[in-house]
Amino acid sequence: MDYVQAIVDGLLFGAVYALIGIGFTLIFGVMNKINMAYAAASFAGAYVSLGIAQVVGLSGDFGLPPFVMFLVSAVAGGVFAYIVYLICFRFTPDHYELASLMATIGTLLMVDEMVVQATNGEPQNYPEVLQGIFDNPMLEFSEEFAIRGDLLTLFIVAVIATLGLLWVLFRTKLGLATRAVAQQRMAAQLCGIRVDRTNATTFVIAGVLGGLAGAMIGAVVGTLLQSLVVIPLTIKGLIVTVIGGLGSIPGAIVGGLMVGAFENVFLAIRGVTERDMYVMLLLFVFLAFRPQGLFGRVAVRD
Amino acid sequence: MLEVNDIVTAYGKIEALKGVSLSVPEGQITVLLGPNGAGKTTTLMSVAGLLKPKRGSVTFEGQDITGRQPGTIVQRGIALVPENRLVFPDMNVHDNLKTGAYVRNDNEIESDIESIYERFPRLKERYHQHAGTLSGGEQQMLAVARALMARPKLMLMDEPSLGLAPMIVEEIFRIIHDLNQEGTSIFLVEQNANMALKIAHQFYLLEQGLVTFSGTPGDMDENEVIQRAYLGTTA
Ligand SMILES: Nc1ncnc2c1ncn2[C@@H]1O[C@H](COP(=O)(O)OP(=O)(O)OP(=O)(O)O)[C@@H](O)[C@H]1O
Ligand SMILES: [Mg+2]
Repeated sequence: MDYVQAIVDGLLFGAVYALIGIGFTLIFGVMNKINMAYAAASFAGAYVSLGIAQVVGLSGDFGLPPFVMFLVSAVAGGVFAYIVYLICFRFTPDHYELASLMATIGTLLMVDEMVVQATNGEPQNYPEVLQGIFDNPMLEFSEEFAIRGDLLTLFIVAVIATLGLLWVLFRTKLGLATRAVAQQRMAAQLCGIRVDRTNATTFVIAGVLGGLAGAMIGAVVGTLLQSLVVIPLTIKGLIVTVIGGLGSIPGAIVGGLMVGAFENVFLAIRGVTERDMYVMLLLFVFLAFRPQGLFGRVAVRD
Repeated sequence: MLEVNDIVTAYGKIEALKGVSLSVPEGQITVLLGPNGAGKTTTLMSVAGLLKPKRGSVTFEGQDITGRQPGTIVQRGIALVPENRLVFPDMNVHDNLKTGAYVRNDNEIESDIESIYERFPRLKERYHQHAGTLSGGEQQMLAVARALMARPKLMLMDEPSLGLAPMIVEEIFRIIHDLNQEGTSIFLVEQNANMALKIAHQFYLLEQGLVTFSGTPGDMDENEVIQRAYLGTTA
């Protein structure tokens, strides 16, 4: 049993949890509402890209470069997130938070069912497009410890996506509007910012990140199985967000890596069937002793 | 310049404004006084487009702006400095000012920020600091500065002296006076009737959603104004 290996693999894979956590937190930050259907953008993106790969036939010794899969998944994630926004937020009463929450849960279950129908509940092979970019294993330090090339690629892509997001948030007018709405909605309106449009673009951005994460999960794991992605990803996204602190992007990053490392260590010790139990335990520990999360503050909003 | 005609604005079924009419002439300072809950904030929100009157109209420079989007109204030249300042707490001062210029597309935004810094040296010293860490007085100045970034012809100000130390209040009123001297029309909501009447050209008294008096500062005994601005008319 090599803990270092488990932790490093987990930290690298945790980058996708960080992406999903960022999406969750972004939506919460801007709307102050929970989107339970958020992770659905992830696996919707993954399944759509897989579907297209199966039709075009790029699985196996695929001819198209891997970034096409990611691109398709990211775009599909963005489109799907926008649909969720319309169904669950745009046309539900603004002041009645339970309405949008219930709508997102309903959407999650509906998408879950659609995936079951489309795949008969069977696992689908996902082309392992992340392999081959680096040697695999990439760096072999000893018999016991090596860095996997596909995980390293995943990590680098996630870092680039996060930097891209930060660039949008802190260097563009769209980002300025997003931060303004998140921090002081009424003042943002007074400055002429359209809150509904900002909400919609935030959903799309979060969906793109989620779609990207979904494709990378598929590529690293090598298969997509509805019962292993739909609910687990949703729960993990929530846990990452709670651990990091609702609304905090640095929190989501740290939380994502932490959950990745933590679950991988318990995977190594206790096996895949028990792994998520311990992740849940981590959540309870945080809720009990640090409910505002690592980077959150004790909530004071308008 | 601004004409409010018989507007009724409601929260749900409760009508906060029951037919308010008033006018704000160009180049002047118009003050709106009234006790808590009279509807002063509701009036400003109805002008700025955050609330839609269910009856009546608002016209600005002869054009109907009733129920328009807030962005359209800022673009036409009306900026609101909201009650409680409402700065963007986790943004630095500079970004707060940039957000104030959100509706502008010209290339003079940075030079406008420079002139804001000349007018408010305290903001310049703190340009990289998060607005949430500023003192109350500094936040109020930032809120005024942010509104100025839209280059308004008319500034709506909602209780800018609220919760500030007397010295800071004086400074805020001096700024309002200066802005007016430079040509910005002002529509000021205040509870501090004393100070407000010193700089007002004309004032309105709002009680329970209705305008109950309008005139110039000499028109009503000051004690009565203050009495009614704080407590309302005791029936
Ligand atoms: N969001 C709201 N929902 C329901 N009622 C509201 C809301 N905001 C204000 N009101 C009611 O409308 C009336 C007018 O409120 P408004 O805030 O305009 O008063 P105000 O004159 O600005 O008072 P203050 O001096 O306390 O700021 C009050 O009776 C208030 O309770
Ligand atoms: Mg008020």
